[in-house]
Amino acid sequence: MLIELKDVTKRYGEGELAVVALDDISLLVDQGEFVVVLGPSGSGKTTLLNVVGALDSATEGVVRVNGVDISAATRRELFDFRARSVSFIFQSFNLFAGLTAEENVQFGADAASSGLDAAEVLASVGLGGKGHRFPHELSGGEQQRVAIARALATRNPIMLCDEPTGELDFRTGVQILELLQEQAGTGRAVLVVTHNREISRMADRVVELSSGRIVSDGPPAGGKAPVADLNW
Amino acid sequence: MLGVLLRWSWRDLRAHWPKVAAIAVVIAIGTGGYAGLTSTTEWRTVSYDQSYSQLAMYDVRVDAAPGSTVPVGTLATVVASLPSRASVAAVEERLIVPTQVDASTATQAILVRGEITGSDFSAEGPHVNSYHTFTGRPLTHDDAGAPLVMLERNFAKFYGIAPTAVVAISGGRDVEVVAQASTPEYFTVAPEGEMFMSEATFAGLFTTLETAQALAGLPGQVNNLVLTLNPGSDRAAVVAELGSALATGGIGATVLTRDDNLSYTALTTDIEQDQAMFNALAALLIAGAVGAAFNLIHRLAEQQRREIGVGMALGVRPGVLAIRPLLVSAQIAILGVLFGVAVGILIGNSMAAVFTGLIPLPVWKTAFPTTVFIRVAGIGLVVPFLASALPVWRAVRVAPIEAIRPAHLSATGLSGERRRRSLGNTFRVLPFRNIRRAPRRTALTVLGIAASLTVLMGFLGIMDSVFGAVDTAESEAVGRAPQRVTVALDTFYPITAPEVAAVAAAPQVAVVEPTLRLAGSVTGPGADFEMFLELADLTDGMWSPSVTAGTLGAGPGLILSEKAVADLGVGVGEAVTLRHPVREGLTFRFVDTELVVVATHPSPVRSIAYMHLVEADLFNLAGLTNAVNLLPVAGATTADVQQELFAQQAVASVQSVTAITEAVRDAFDQILGIIQVMVVAILLLALLIAFNTAAINLEARAREHATMFAFGVKVRKALRMAATESLVIGIAATTIGIGGGLLMVWWMTQRLLTETLPDFALPVLLRPETVAIVAIMGVLAVSLAPLLTVRRMRRMDLPGTLRLVE
Repeated sequence: MLIELKDVTKRYGEGELAVVALDDISLLVDQGEFVVVLGPSGSGKTTLLNVVGALDSATEGVVRVNGVDISAATRRELFDFRARSVSFIFQSFNLFAGLTAEENVQFGADAASSGLDAAEVLASVGLGGKGHRFPHELSGGEQQRVAIARALATRNPIMLCDEPTGELDFRTGVQILELLQEQAGTGRAVLVVTHNREISRMADRVVELSSGRIVSDGPPAGGKAPVADLNW
Repeated sequence: MLGVLLRWSWRDLRAHWPKVAAIAVVIAIGTGGYAGLTSTTEWRTVSYDQSYSQLAMYDVRVDAAPGSTVPVGTLATVVASLPSRASVAAVEERLIVPTQVDASTATQAILVRGEITGSDFSAEGPHVNSYHTFTGRPLTHDDAGAPLVMLERNFAKFYGIAPTAVVAISGGRDVEVVAQASTPEYFTVAPEGEMFMSEATFAGLFTTLETAQALAGLPGQVNNLVLTLNPGSDRAAVVAELGSALATGGIGATVLTRDDNLSYTALTTDIEQDQAMFNALAALLIAGAVGAAFNLIHRLAEQQRREIGVGMALGVRPGVLAIRPLLVSAQIAILGVLFGVAVGILIGNSMAAVFTGLIPLPVWKTAFPTTVFIRVAGIGLVVPFLASALPVWRAVRVAPIEAIRPAHLSATGLSGERRRRSLGNTFRVLPFRNIRRAPRRTALTVLGIAASLTVLMGFLGIMDSVFGAVDTAESEAVGRAPQRVTVALDTFYPITAPEVAAVAAAPQVAVVEPTLRLAGSVTGPGADFEMFLELADLTDGMWSPSVTAGTLGAGPGLILSEKAVADLGVGVGEAVTLRHPVREGLTFRFVDTELVVVATHPSPVRSIAYMHLVEADLFNLAGLTNAVNLLPVAGATTADVQQELFAQQAVASVQSVTAITEAVRDAFDQILGIIQVMVVAILLLALLIAFNTAAINLEARAREHATMFAFGVKVRKALRMAATESLVIGIAATTIGIGGGLLMVWWMTQRLLTETLPDFALPVLLRPETVAIVAIMGVLAVSLAPLLTVRRMRRMDLPGTLRLVE
């Protein structure tokens, strides 16, 4: 298993002010799975993503990702873990404004020491001719493609996507989802956090959260739909 | 709404107080430093004027020809006979005689040349050039004839001599020191032929006229007269009448004004030149501080751009939206003014402490320069508002969506079309790209740091130049005879006289060589100035000057310093007019003689000139000497020779050849206090600018850093990137700062100080250590500033920062 969460709880604050973001969650994700984590705002889905990506730590429980028990890892080990195991794709892209598209992708390769050719990776997401452009010279969809290419350039086995289509129009959003789905096809585990129920229709598996608890976990209701059938 | 904005602003202050305080200190150093530096003229002028007035500094002075005296009353009678005698307010006749002073204590040998000034203390005198007593009791007429003196304050302070002591003078006689005092001619010690601030090598002894006459063996004689004039009198007319009357009366004497007195001119006429230098440094200091503060406040306000856009989208009026960033400006401005008062007082007090320590004036008025500060505080108040107003104005001028747009989606200094070839690894590329992203911001940061480093270089460089010139002078004086000692005689003696033979016969003396030392002046097409002429055996003697042009053996003529030749506007082989004394019986008259410049020497002291001793006929002094160069026997020191010759009546002083340069070095060492005050302030300024820049960069790039950490980039590497960016800024700022500092040193040494120190050729010199210090301070301090943000980087809320949706 690439991702193993056992009895994970995440609490913010203490005493009466304590907020439980994740409440005794257990979850297994294998390689090649395209998992959509669905839930309304405040359900704990982003916290779940952050705990898996070692951006945040669980208060209780065991988190083992890519063979690393990150709930017991040191700060240094967590940095190494992020560099070698997970790649993030953010809603607002978080590209480096000072680097060109190709260099942003190269950054991913440099961070993970993957040795991949940035230009080739960029070409694989359909931006072959735009590597010399800076982020502010690209459209939102193109920027998110660069972000995906940056994640791919790490060659890490897990992609963690936080509302990756949140700032994109429908048409561009669909293209990005197709791209992410392709990555699952190459053996990566792809976790997409979204509040958009329509997106969950294309997933291999949908994990639905509510108030920090998993309320359902399984294939999409009505079966997996082709991306072309999505509409929002 | 206003209440909300005020509360919000209060929260802003709590969140950003270190930056707000640091920017306020940057402004304070600029404004306070400016006030402190530029106000010295005001209080120095007032202090000097009141001090000279209180002690009745003379307007006109009459010096009898060297070695000659006249009976008491002679000079006063001449004054009383002048057509302009009604202009004369007070007259004092004095006897001033050279001596040697042995003020040695149990722990140190203090043997210097000096001068006994005898004044008339009767009728509550002296009424011209009176004395201010710092310790002990003032002399009165009751002390007339007693071996009691007041010791000059600068000398006493330099050597830490006790308020009451016994010192020995030439001939081995003891006099008792009853007080430490000063008089206008000694506010800074400037004996003839030396620089000002020569307290290390010259001791003034003040006593009654009767005592001076007794000590000198000249009963009833005087050789000096000083007078003050009534307000509005025509000083030039009195000088002319006096010169004419003295000549008519057959009295060989020189008539001088207070403007001819080096001590007076060094202190008074130089205030403005000093101030010009301080003004230039202050202007740079405030320019750097204001530029940096503007940049930093501008960036703080720019961080609110999105919120201003949101406010506009919600229909809030621009004027209301401007309140919050302007409140931050108000906080900085108020703190800046408050801190500025503190910095101004600190710098002002430090400078006042240095000056009051250097110059023993009876009156010092060093109040805080309120007027200057109020003027400059206006800048400190306005700049923060301007710096905030600009980004606010830009934000409210555009459509709300433009203001809300994330910074990385707004126009930047980067464009793909102009992109240069990548430097390779993105960790290495990113710092350089960040610099290029905001060229204006980078330039302002660089210029702010560069300005402060320029001031630092200016301060340190001027000291380098001065000490470099002193080193050159010392090296030239030492030449091939480092053990050389010069013995000044109290008057002219035949070379074969027993007094000269006695010097040569002293057991500690190996070789002697008679010389002549004369005062005169030289005139050329470009200038005229005082000159100290030494006639010696320049071909076979124990010492001769280095020659930088011409030859020593090129016939009769003058060997002038390179600066003298340049100032006179002549070259080797060309003629100048030397105004020099010619002996006529027991007195001297001055004549003009055209002489060719046969060579130049490298000493930075313009007034030093040489001639061959064989040309003494020109002065009617052939076969005579008034100074002897000697070499001690092996193993003997200058102090040994001084001790041995001290008791000889004809010996006025015994000095090592480096005594003058050592005195100059000591004098400038004291001025280092001012430099050190400023260096600390400037370094603090550069550090604050660097720290604030790093702190604001950290905030502005929080999301980028968070993204890096999400990709496993370690804090160490992120810091290295930030440090690289700062390093580039530091290198650029330091390079500009060093270049600016060099220009500043050039301007000060080649333009400004040529008026303040016309007799001294200052090179444009920056010692490698100085450049290294500034470079290390500039580059290291700036590039390491991001390290100060490491704690905040480590504690960054990664999920929160990454989730920020712009």
